[in-house]
Amino acid sequence: MTAATASRPAQAARATHVTRGDPRRGTGFALYLAGGTLAALLFLLPLAWAVLRSFMPDTLVTQAPSVRDFGHLTTANYTGLVQANDILHNVLNSLLVACGTGLLTAVIATMAGYGFARFRFRGSGVVFSLVLVTMMIPFQALLTPLFLEMHSLGLTNSLAGLALFYTTFNLPFGVFVMRNTFLQIPWELSEAAAVDGASPARTLLSVLRPLVLPGIATTVLYAFLFSWTEFVGALTFITSNNLYTLPLALLNMEYGSVGQVNFGYLEAGAVIAMIPCVLLYVGLQRFYVRGLVSGVVKG
Amino acid sequence: MVLVSPAFAMVTLFVLFPLGFAVYISLTDWPLIGPYHFTGGQNYTELIHDPQFIHSVLFTLLYTGIVTGPIFIIGYAMAILVRSNRVGSTFFRTAFFLPFIIGLATESFMALLELQPDSGAVDYVLSRVGLAHAGTAWTVNYGLALTAICVFVTWFASGLTMMLLMAGMQGIPNELYEAAEVDGGTWWQKESRITLPLLRGNIALALIISVIGSFLAFNQFYILTEGGPGTSTQPVVMWIYEEAFVQYHLGYATAGAIALVIVIAIISAAQFYLLRDSSRAGR
Repeated sequence: MTAATASRPAQAARATHVTRGDPRRGTGFALYLAGGTLAALLFLLPLAWAVLRSFMPDTLVTQAPSVRDFGHLTTANYTGLVQANDILHNVLNSLLVACGTGLLTAVIATMAGYGFARFRFRGSGVVFSLVLVTMMIPFQALLTPLFLEMHSLGLTNSLAGLALFYTTFNLPFGVFVMRNTFLQIPWELSEAAAVDGASPARTLLSVLRPLVLPGIATTVLYAFLFSWTEFVGALTFITSNNLYTLPLALLNMEYGSVGQVNFGYLEAGAVIAMIPCVLLYVGLQRFYVRGLVSGVVKG
Repeated sequence: MVLVSPAFAMVTLFVLFPLGFAVYISLTDWPLIGPYHFTGGQNYTELIHDPQFIHSVLFTLLYTGIVTGPIFIIGYAMAILVRSNRVGSTFFRTAFFLPFIIGLATESFMALLELQPDSGAVDYVLSRVGLAHAGTAWTVNYGLALTAICVFVTWFASGLTMMLLMAGMQGIPNELYEAAEVDGGTWWQKESRITLPLLRGNIALALIISVIGSFLAFNQFYILTEGGPGTSTQPVVMWIYEEAFVQYHLGYATAGAIALVIVIAIISAAQFYLLRDSSRAGR
């Protein structure tokens, strides 16, 4: 059930899969390449198109696409978005919330994961179940009580409040991942280090760190991407324009503006929102997949 | 235990307490401001007679019924395509999964432009190949909006199903396939007699995650149709949101939310049961 035990046989099998036959030859391989390329185009073309659109002048964005558009690329939508809509302020809000959520989730989940993996205490089973049960409760259904509660605590219309809310709903996954991370650590290793005269701090840094870091990376990555892309919670808990996260700023461009929606700005804003996701996923893919195979991901 | 107490405190404060509080609110006529009165089960009786709520439930079920199949079939096909490590398989996996990573909210804003009459790429391409009239406003017609959103969400979510199924396929011992090859088994026989039965747990998991995601649909409808025309494309979460934060019927909205919690909890419980089962089987 753990991420590790689920992925290990997977890697072993993957290694053997490759050697089956010569994968570079045959019609099977040609079909694979053709199908894969076609499907990849279907998935990537809309995104690439959106990026291209964001560089078109606004009048072209609202006109039917044509080949001539490629000759008029401009960064006007981006500069306009920064100057007229102060989009960087919203990017900063989103970054603050996402980084805060990532950091807080990592700290709390690491502590709890260590606690659950290393110590058995009265009620630890019950507490662990309670944390996991949270995964079964959709936050979308708790918006009303959460709004009233957070309002009375002064946490609505606050980026810190939003980060606390996001952290809570990322914790079950994080605790689960971190507990499994600590469970798979061979503790004889740290004992051996202690016997060899390493201080506890030194043990933690040089022996345990490389074993724990992947788990933390997985936790932070999920928490960051969750908060960066979350929409309905932010919509409920944030009402002041100057605290809008990026998705709320985009919504404001759609519904809040008087008259015609500036689609050029909207497209540029959406591309800005897309960039961190693409970079983080492409760069840290293996940590993301590690979380996926643990089987506790929400749709 | 000191180490687990912050996690426990957060979960208690922001999940368990609100959950209990929600049950209480749902039994009152809680407005946003002002005093409230205990009304017992009145919200719930009203709920099952509310055509608006019933419609949002039926609409959510219809939407889930439409998208679950295509997401699963496309996800399964892509999992077969990229499960073994070959030239380009990492790139393909990334490409198929990227829409899921970027998120529905951001992509809904992109889709909004492409679904506009005349200026949108959807309208442009489909009218050129003769599948639609030029100048079709995709988001303001019930059937067209639902169709467009279902195609859009299939594009968004198939990658997740692919990843979940692929992980399962890679966990199947290769010896089974080798033995089948020795016995002269065809590709189809290997897929239907080895992969499919051994993948049952992963298939169930992928389906459950997909269905839960559809039941909780909000972003794509809120951004693309705002529930319209009228309230015809309003899923349950949007009904809750509108009832609570637009109409300020917090008690009534929460009663609907409790119904949603119960349904999702039952489906999730099945998910946990399956996970426990597959871990016992040694995977």
